[in-house]
Amino acid sequence: MVVYSFYIFDRHAECIYKRRWLPRPTSISGKASRPTSEIPSSSNGVPPVFGQSDRTTDDDAKLIFGTVFSLRNMVRKLGGEDDSFVSYNTSQYKLHYYETPTNIKFVMLTDVKSPSMRVALQQIYINLFVEYGVLDSYPR
Amino acid sequence: MSTNDYLVLAGTFHGVHAITRTITPRIPVPSPPSSTSTTSYAFPNPGIPATGLEYLETEKFRLTCFQTLTGTKFLLFTDPLTTNIDVVMRKVYELYADYVMKNPFYQLEMPVRCEAFDRHLGGWLRGRT
Repeated sequence: MVVYSFYIFDRHAECIYKRRWLPRPTSISGKASRPTSEIPSSSNGVPPVFGQSDRTTDDDAKLIFGTVFSLRNMVRKLGGEDDSFVSYNTSQYKLHYYETPTNIKFVMLTDVKSPSMRVALQQIYINLFVEYGVLDSYPR
Repeated sequence: MSTNDYLVLAGTFHGVHAITRTITPRIPVPSPPSSTSTTSYAFPNPGIPATGLEYLETEKFRLTCFQTLTGTKFLLFTDPLTTNIDVVMRKVYELYADYVMKNPFYQLEMPVRCEAFDRHLGGWLRGRT
């Protein structure tokens, strides 16, 4: 299974976390088999080296948010208010979606053959996001 | 849902379908040393053209989208556990070609109101269950 990217959107449609994993080109390093992670930093203004050449990672996040938001509304209209969309496939990738009751959206892009990542996204929310994100500065 | 709602959904789906194709992750391909610094990209499944949304799974249903070569989209809503959707889709396309496209009174790009198509589609689907 290959994971291409992972995004978290808060309830104000803001992308609060994004991370992409793309394989390193073999000509630069000999270790092509080991994927490298790229955290796009907005502070230093360095253009993204990997990935889309004509579109920034910010634009990608916006497009992905627009897609999942539209699909979520569409699914609610067709399947009823308590229905929610889980994933979609194209010929090239699979997008997994999980939304918390507080409207925080977790999105993950993987290869087409990966199994359902709903539980994984739920675990990321419960064990990582709540634990290290929400409760970070909370006195315990 | 009213006809207007369906039109809104169809419009939304059309846009989303196009976006899902453009956000396909692209993997950098090492460029040969002779070429300049431009990095080339490949899709995760090289050899297959990038398509938009092909099927969508929700908790309650499964939506399969089939796009013909001319751009007409067939949307099939099924139970999440239904199998052999490809077969159903292929047959629907076949019936569409036979009873809609070969109907001399059907005008292209207009809503499909062909009784023979309805009848054969209904009959075939009933025969399967």
